[in-house]
Amino acid sequence: MRNSWLLAKREIRERIGSRSFLFMSIFGPLVILLLGYLLFTYGGEGKQHWKVLIADPTGIMDNKILAKEDGMLTYAFADSYIEMEEFRDAQQFKSFDAMVEINEKVLSNKTAFVFFRQKPSVRMQTHLQFQVERRIEEVMIKRFTKLSVRDFRKIKQPLNVAFRNVYDPMDEASDMRAWAGFFFGCIIFVFIFLFGMTVLRSIATEKTNRIVEVLLASVNPRQLLSGKIIGIGLSAFIQFAIWIGVIGVGMFVMRLYVFPDLFDASNFELLQNGDGVQSSIMEYNEYLNLVFERLQFGNLLFFFSLFFVGGYLFYAAFFSAIGASSGSESDGQQFVIPIILLLGSSVLAGYYTILNPESQLAGWFHYLPFTSPVTVMVRLTQGYGPGEGYQIWLALFILLSSSFAMLFVAGRIYKNGILQFGHRLRLSLLFKWFKRS
Amino acid sequence: MLEIQHISKSFGRKPALSDVSLEISEGEIFGLLGPNGAGKTTLIRVVNKILEPDSGVVRLNGEILTERHLAQIGYLPEERGLYRSMTVEAHALLLGQLRGLSNKQSQIQLDLWLEKFQITDWKKKRIEELSKGMAQKVQFICTVLHDPKLLILDEPLSGFDPVNIELILQELREMKHDGKTIILSTHNMKSVEEICDRAALIHQSKKILEGKVADLQQERKKGDYAVRFRGNMIAFVNALWTGFELVEKEILGDDRFIAKLKMRGENSFEDLLRVLIGQVQIEAAWEVLPSMQDIFIEMVTAEKEVTHA
Repeated sequence: MRNSWLLAKREIRERIGSRSFLFMSIFGPLVILLLGYLLFTYGGEGKQHWKVLIADPTGIMDNKILAKEDGMLTYAFADSYIEMEEFRDAQQFKSFDAMVEINEKVLSNKTAFVFFRQKPSVRMQTHLQFQVERRIEEVMIKRFTKLSVRDFRKIKQPLNVAFRNVYDPMDEASDMRAWAGFFFGCIIFVFIFLFGMTVLRSIATEKTNRIVEVLLASVNPRQLLSGKIIGIGLSAFIQFAIWIGVIGVGMFVMRLYVFPDLFDASNFELLQNGDGVQSSIMEYNEYLNLVFERLQFGNLLFFFSLFFVGGYLFYAAFFSAIGASSGSESDGQQFVIPIILLLGSSVLAGYYTILNPESQLAGWFHYLPFTSPVTVMVRLTQGYGPGEGYQIWLALFILLSSSFAMLFVAGRIYKNGILQFGHRLRLSLLFKWFKRS
Repeated sequence: MLEIQHISKSFGRKPALSDVSLEISEGEIFGLLGPNGAGKTTLIRVVNKILEPDSGVVRLNGEILTERHLAQIGYLPEERGLYRSMTVEAHALLLGQLRGLSNKQSQIQLDLWLEKFQITDWKKKRIEELSKGMAQKVQFICTVLHDPKLLILDEPLSGFDPVNIELILQELREMKHDGKTIILSTHNMKSVEEICDRAALIHQSKKILEGKVADLQQERKKGDYAVRFRGNMIAFVNALWTGFELVEKEILGDDRFIAKLKMRGENSFEDLLRVLIGQVQIEAAWEVLPSMQDIFIEMVTAEKEVTHA
């Protein structure tokens, strides 16, 4: 173990000391922050003008919403209940892009529903939500308080405006949280790919420059292999920790200075002067809401770590076996492609799981060690049903068991192949070296 | 010190070692000779526990060789590599620690060796900044850093200039003097004659020769003599008459020659000197022993002929 740790420390020093590590540590999180910023700012651009039907059977809004015309929204009122399906299918409603349902409970439960046909842009959502909310506030002040609008807004609770797609009211196909899980899964994919390839290259280089023979005279092949995999894995973790740190600080700064949350009461005063709707900092954004309010980062990071370790060990075993068996540094490329395809399939499996979370195939992807690191991240954010919590642990158990089995296989191939030179790698050689004790 | 008993090792159907046995005593420099692909490196890897033999056993000081004995062995492989991006210091400390030294001990030993070779200013240099010869020296230091009792050196002199070859040979002599056991695998037969006490020749996976270097040469001498003289070559040949046969001659210039001779009949070395005195000016005369190179070529060629027959 001492020798493995010595070799692992060497790997960590070499990786951390390299320029590419430094570059990735800074560039990687900055790219993600930039993408996040663009997503938060321009996410969900859509139709520029909407015709909205307000179904207000109890007349709460008194057929009024705006004092003057709005360039983005045109409203019409209906004084009867309209079911979502009726709005979706009836010919007379086809000209409307969305329907706002104001039922009699809106003043008590502070929830209004917006049913749309096409996903609105963030700006459109913000406008609609802001205007509906302002009108409801006026009604509430008039009915229940003697406060001025200004004073009321200081103490008010926000109105919850729930947007629903009339064609997908349960929002199954576009669960934002699942996409966040998919994002984490993709990060696992990227890290496994980058550091798995590092394992391969590092072993092939050691083999080519023959340092491996010097090392093997001091440590056994298993110690050498485990030192390498542990060292490179830990440097991946260090890089990930740096990413988390930089992204975390970046997100915090963004939240404080770039995207103060619209629903944060302390920020609400900003609405009182001028038309806050026009200001980008006021805009409600589902991505912001997702990232800052709805995701359980602690839970995600915990399972991310476990599944990253499992996935990394599983794929690193493949990469190390190929690196050790290659006859030269450039040999073995033809065997890397299937592994990358396999790794890429995990991303597709994650995507499939977002679209078809309940399907049987998604269930298989959840347990298969090739695909589980990405798929489990998606499932984790989609949420496990009551009594289904064991599934994540079962997937982890299968992944770790498979990883250790693969490491055993890779260890044998490594031991028998690492001192073979000058050949051209063939599948039969891999089998031969695996069978040799 | 080291007993190699009936070691056999095959790779697939190809035998790399066939029932090879050797015994190497403490404080001995042992030459391991053989043409390329004979099985020397396989044998060395078996002794270093890099390869497991199919059969046979290796003992170190009477104990069956295990991984814990590796700290007593220093190994310099023929195809040696270094981590090019590491500094000399970091590299040596890593290998020292892998061989069981603490960080501090490795540091002390490294300073000692760098000072001995007068290369202390290399300590912080990256390996990639060093020339081939410099890197070879670093590799040698890394091999001996942990003060091993048994040193296995595969072509330790390759890549060195004559000055550094002498430096390394001197180091090996000192180590022998300190009681270290050294196995030297080399094609440099001159160095074998110079410093090896005993040698073995491996050919086509089998040991075909083993013994003291001096004995091996004595056993294979062919009754040849050499004379270095100043004078007339014709007078020299006339003096030989029918008692001796001139095999070959080398002109040294200024009427100086080295002549290689064979005895005819019952003539002796003394008879030779007697007929030459007065005819030429003898500077030196000696019995010609076969070089290790001659023995090597003779044995390998003979084995090949047997195999082909």
